Amino acid sequence: MSQCRLSPEKLRALNQKYHVFCEIAEDLGALDEYPPHFHFSAKDNLCARGFQARAGSRILEGYRPPFDATAIARMKRFGGVLLGKTTMDEFGFGTFSTNSSHGIPLNPFDQTRACGGSSGGGAAVTCLLEDHVALGVSTGGSISCPASFCGVFGLTPTYGRVSRYGLIDYGNSLDKIGLMARRPEALRTFLPVIAGPDPKDPTSCTQAALDLSPTKVTRVAVPEEAMANLDRGVEAKFTEALDLIGGGIGIEVKRVKMPSLKYALAAYYIIATSEASTNLARYCGMRFGVQNKNVSQHFNDFFSETRSASFGNEAKRRILIGTYTRAIGFRDRYYLKALAVRQSIISEYDRIFQEADLVLTPTMPFVAPSFDQIERMRPLEVYQADFLTVPPNLAGLPHISMPCGYLNSLPAGMQFVAPHWEERRLLVMAENWNKQFQTRFPEGCP
Amino acid sequence: MPRPDGTREDGSGGEELDARTVKNVARIARLRLTEEEVAQYAKDMDDVLNYFAILDEASDLGRHDFNPVPVSDVLREDEPSLDISPEELRAMMDTYQEMVRGPRL
Amino acid sequence: MKIGLEVHVQLPTKSKMFCSCPTTAMEPNNAICPTCLGFPGSRPVLNRRALELGVEIARFMGCIIAEEIWFSRKTYFYPDLPKNFQITQYESPLGIDGQVFLGEKRIGIWRVHIEEDPGRIKRVGRSGEEVSLVDYNRSGIPLVEIVTAPDMSSPEEARQFMSELLVELRHVIGTTPSDEQSVRCDANISVGEERVEIKNIQGLKNLEKALKFEASRQAKMLEAGMRIVRETRRYDEERKVTMSAREKEFEEDYGYIGEPDLGTYNIGNFARSVVTAETPLRRAQRIAGEYVLDFEKAKQVVLTSMALADVLEALAKRVDPEFAMNWVLGPISANWSAIHPRLDQQVQADIVRVVGQVADREITDSEGRRRIGAIAAGEYPDDISCAVADSELDAIISAFLDSNPNVVKDHATNPKAANSAIGHVMKTAPGKYNSKEVVEAVKKEIEKRR
Repeated sequence: MSQCRLSPEKLRALNQKYHVFCEIAEDLGALDEYPPHFHFSAKDNLCARGFQARAGSRILEGYRPPFDATAIARMKRFGGVLLGKTTMDEFGFGTFSTNSSHGIPLNPFDQTRACGGSSGGGAAVTCLLEDHVALGVSTGGSISCPASFCGVFGLTPTYGRVSRYGLIDYGNSLDKIGLMARRPEALRTFLPVIAGPDPKDPTSCTQAALDLSPTKVTRVAVPEEAMANLDRGVEAKFTEALDLIGGGIGIEVKRVKMPSLKYALAAYYIIATSEASTNLARYCGMRFGVQNKNVSQHFNDFFSETRSASFGNEAKRRILIGTYTRAIGFRDRYYLKALAVRQSIISEYDRIFQEADLVLTPTMPFVAPSFDQIERMRPLEVYQADFLTVPPNLAGLPHISMPCGYLNSLPAGMQFVAPHWEERRLLVMAENWNKQFQTRFPEGCP
Repeated sequence: MPRPDGTREDGSGGEELDARTVKNVARIARLRLTEEEVAQYAKDMDDVLNYFAILDEASDLGRHDFNPVPVSDVLREDEPSLDISPEELRAMMDTYQEMVRGPRL
Repeated sequence: MKIGLEVHVQLPTKSKMFCSCPTTAMEPNNAICPTCLGFPGSRPVLNRRALELGVEIARFMGCIIAEEIWFSRKTYFYPDLPKNFQITQYESPLGIDGQVFLGEKRIGIWRVHIEEDPGRIKRVGRSGEEVSLVDYNRSGIPLVEIVTAPDMSSPEEARQFMSELLVELRHVIGTTPSDEQSVRCDANISVGEERVEIKNIQGLKNLEKALKFEASRQAKMLEAGMRIVRETRRYDEERKVTMSAREKEFEEDYGYIGEPDLGTYNIGNFARSVVTAETPLRRAQRIAGEYVLDFEKAKQVVLTSMALADVLEALAKRVDPEFAMNWVLGPISANWSAIHPRLDQQVQADIVRVVGQVADREITDSEGRRRIGAIAAGEYPDDISCAVADSELDAIISAFLDSNPNVVKDHATNPKAANSAIGHVMKTAPGKYNSKEVVEAVKKEIEKRR
């Protein structure tokens, strides 16, 4: 355990600098109690009693859920002390956590740069505090991306592995709760704590039993589609990592073709925005969050007034896109087609897994960009930055990002993908890699 | 990889999304947009929807599963219970004589 | 005139469709939870009983049942709809292409599916400026939606369809009067070419009134040479008129997507295992056909009580069916409130015997009536000896005689030998049989064994 005593004051000081928490616990006394406790944080779209859950949005201002998300309850039962809720893109809509209404987290390696998103705050806290584990959520890559930019390990389990009860929805067929930590051993410790069937979430009830028994990883496949459109530096670090994997660890690296990957981004964004636009319909000024007092206006005006005033631009954009893609006359071409294409991408991965244990790609096509660079990106460019993280997320496959190199002190990440339910292969790979590779972190405790 | 603006080698994929369509979609979604916003979102949506057109050329097996892993036959027994007190829930909402206040009809 | 109905009936479950909140009526907003309030982070879990009841109804209506079903989100914005989408079934109803019979007339059933109810809105304030107060007790209660073909030809027929449907559902799924009170209908009615929809009609009386008003409105317009606009209207219960539903200013695009939180359900095997006990009206149809009796009379019998129908059928096997019907609708019905609580195999047999004696002219009509009255009063007039085989009584006697064969032997010379058997029955089943019937039964059994 760390010698540096955490306290709300210390966390607030950290937060002044990095904006990683949108809410900090009042009392951390439990950290000193026996038996030994550990500290963790939760992305602000996870509900916890005693905290607001605003999911990075102004429209949820004041929402204090009267229940704990199952993942949080399980962590607490295991001895976890929740330090606070971490900053994120509004409802998960974003790749850099810049769409946050409660502070934009700054990259611990370079504060002019982004943490990645949408679990940016969580990845940064993990980077800054020793022995910390962060609960993150991934829909299209929101654990892998910030893990990559902040130089930590980020595990996204199989869809359905961890109960989503208590998670504020972005895309119900895509959201997965996962873990970030400085060392892979922590992932092995905490995955069994949060995983497992929960009768409150039907999609968690038909999972294969979690099996973390020893296993061997001997063959890794690298799709050629993942090697296009990469920043040169990232490509170089990734290639070095491949040499180490092939040589130092002795795993066979095979080059493969996965032609259906080119459809993954479109299929993902169609499904994600279609589902999100229905999930966000409930935010209308009644019952929770921002409550509109102007009841004398017609209900359509009442709803529109709240939604227009309190949703951010990216939220509005995705609601518009997602409403269009499931509308009469467009539904077949977009929504239904995307569902079908998802299935064919899953089939393609199945085919590759016949001849390889894992699929490997870089996590992101570049290292953490500066906020100026991000400002200049068009929405479509931002979406396309996800082209490496989206495929396993779309397919519901478990995946892990880990640091594989440093470019001018900024971390670059690589991402392994395993078949459904085979998280153990990812943990073994991460542990073996961590023995060969020296991870670096900036300042520890403030 | 397709071009960032969504157009393909053969030059297709460039239909414009008009303001009227955006306003219609916004109305369905209960979003009130300024004229400026309508123009901006029209451009953004156009970009993105043109990019989505790449799926037109994708072949598929015609299966429309809603989840990426099989989820079936998960049921709850018909036993009533209240785990959280309704009083606590009512206190979170804008109520009048235990009814939730809502807008004009 | 063509009328089609979309009927919504609350299913009699103990908990709601997607959460464990109780369904029993209470003070406003007392049966609520994060799920039926649509709180962020909540999640639906399907009630097994709601699914089973829906399938049972679909089977009852003769539908083709799907093997695998799922749920969809229907998105629209209204204060009573907590998530601003309703979880319903769009592309995958439980069953399709069924039918029911209204007397001899076939009414097509297009589809049967289940969905959740929204909350209940109370409008307060001056008309035109009303605001809403919402009670979410009703939010999430399971509903079955039954959609008929436009096969009804009059408002009266539509009302009859609804009333018979409710009678049948009581037997198929056990709906109670309070479930029935909350039945809602959307009706489609066309006098000419264009169809008008009237939404959210509550109760049978309002259904008939609304349809009568609308039929008349459309007829008048056609007579005046005006075109009927295809539109959605609502029925104003106070003013007793249908009005354009100005609330929905534009066609809603529901933008259906699948509900990924629930997954799919394989209902084929369950559907095949469902055995529906014969419902009242179907029984009336069968009785009318089998015994060549008037359907309306048969209907009257089953609607009084299924047990009365049991008596009718037993009687119709013993005497001429018309004769049986007259006695059932006459003296037996007249005494039914007294007979019903006492009714068992024994009493039914007594009734059949008495009416049989009248039919055979062994006793007069009025003596028959007197004896029915006596049965109703729990008395056993002298001549009603139970000649009907009572299998339990026979079993007791047989067992005794098996163990005491000497009784049979002795009885040949000494009738009093039967007393030991009689005594045994009285001791074994005290008070259950009257002495006369025991004596008869013992005598018969002994004679059988000689």
